[in-house]
Amino acid sequence: MAAVSGLVRRPLREVSGLLKRRFHWTAPAALQVTVRDAINQGMDEELERDEKVFLLGEEVAQYDGAYKVSRGLWKKYGDKRIIDTPISEMGFAGIAVGAAMAGLRPICEFMTFNFSMQAIDQVINSAAKTYYMSGGLQSVPIVFRGPNGASAGVAAQHSQCFAAWYGHCPGLKVVSPWNSEDAKGLIKSAIRDNNPVVVLENELMYGVPFEFPPEAQSKDFLIPIGKAKIERQGTHITVVSHSRPVGHCLEAAAVLSKEGVECEVINMRTIRPMDMETIEASVMKTNHLVTVEGGWPQFGVGAEICARIMEGPAFNFLDAPAVRVTGADVPMPYAKILEDNSIPQVKDIIFAIKKTLNI
Amino acid sequence: TREVEVAVSRDCATALQPGRVLVASRNFANDATFEIKKCDLHRLEEGPPVTTVLTREDGLKYYRMMQTVRRMELKADQLYKQKIIRGFCHLCDGQEACCVGLEAGINPTDHLITAYRAHGFTFTRGLSVREILAELTGRKGGCAKGKGGSMHMYAKNFYGGNGIVGAQVVKNEDCVLL
Repeated sequence: MAAVSGLVRRPLREVSGLLKRRFHWTAPAALQVTVRDAINQGMDEELERDEKVFLLGEEVAQYDGAYKVSRGLWKKYGDKRIIDTPISEMGFAGIAVGAAMAGLRPICEFMTFNFSMQAIDQVINSAAKTYYMSGGLQSVPIVFRGPNGASAGVAAQHSQCFAAWYGHCPGLKVVSPWNSEDAKGLIKSAIRDNNPVVVLENELMYGVPFEFPPEAQSKDFLIPIGKAKIERQGTHITVVSHSRPVGHCLEAAAVLSKEGVECEVINMRTIRPMDMETIEASVMKTNHLVTVEGGWPQFGVGAEICARIMEGPAFNFLDAPAVRVTGADVPMPYAKILEDNSIPQVKDIIFAIKKTLNI
Repeated sequence: TREVEVAVSRDCATALQPGRVLVASRNFANDATFEIKKCDLHRLEEGPPVTTVLTREDGLKYYRMMQTVRRMELKADQLYKQKIIRGFCHLCDGQEACCVGLEAGINPTDHLITAYRAHGFTFTRGLSVREILAELTGRKGGCAKGKGGSMHMYAKNFYGGNGIVGAQVVKNEDCVLL
């Protein structure tokens, strides 16, 4: 026995030098994914996972999507899953709601949410209210998605932000992604949700690449609806925003941190149900609040946040009135100089933060 | 009356052969008659006329309007490609006869509304090319002070330009619609 063990141990001691060699492992280069591709991936994975999911809208199939968001999906899934519709939002939104009631899981794409106004009766009266009106009998697992808010030079009838309008209605869930990770996680959660969900994307963000963390590359990456994310930690002031203005807030925060002001930037991700716990906890920490949105001020997302802060425990922690930075209270003008000044810019956010902090 | 005009081109003559003269003869008429397809009638005794006469003055007037619209649209196309016009720009070069022909058939007191391809109609309804191009380029000299853009141009008895497809159909109450 001892002879055998001696035989085994000696070679092991000789090879132990080899075993001690470590292989060096470097982290893979960060994957950059545009918001467009993230939404595409999210829809692709959900279409693959559940055959009841289908996409319908104008130009989604053969044209690969008006903004190329659904590129490649028609080639992969065919006519039965990716459906081109005529230019009648009221018509195809109604068809989608009916399909959802019958048990399918449609994704109804509006070319922009401005056109959803044509179909808003279907979205609100047929989709949003049904689960309640039926006493819980009839669910409508539908997703309405499309670009929302201002674009570039498309003037009054094509630049409205619908976050406040849809956020007003009980029965709807409303999400507003900012970056690629948000977009993929939220669209997947929206499709898997059994309630009507409105996904307010942003046309100007479609082409912007963001770093895609490894967990977002998984096929089951979901972002819970109703949970905000703190994009940047800070101590002096809380800045709450959703969709494209989150990027502007982060830029403003970077500029202000050079002056010694640390802003806590919260990306709401969900408009309805709003994550007030995160916002309240942050306000209780920083004692100041600025809300930033692209929509109109009256009855807007910022107005709701301020009202709820006032009604909740965080009010006692405020050292100054909360300030809302919003789009100008006019229909979006066409001339570039007027348009640029009608949406919140980085300088407007910095001005509001300084005004709140009294510096 | 027919006028026969003879044009003699001396340059062509010298190019061909000395001594030979090229004569081009052009015949002008003062008006032209067109036939219009008869349409089915419902609860009417008589329908619209089946022939119409286009006089020389009217013809030249329409031609001038169409040419102006064509050149305006081609310029707008160029400006759009240079990104001086932003957003949407729906042009009607090639379709000028629609707006000019419609204007010929209605009175200035009639009401008109159209969809997004509105530049030609804005012109025929009385606005100048300067106002239209200023609007397209976002200047305050534009018909909507630069705030409307391509699809939101208005004039007297002209209710635009509508960005939402189909919106003009519902708005047309007692307007003439195209």
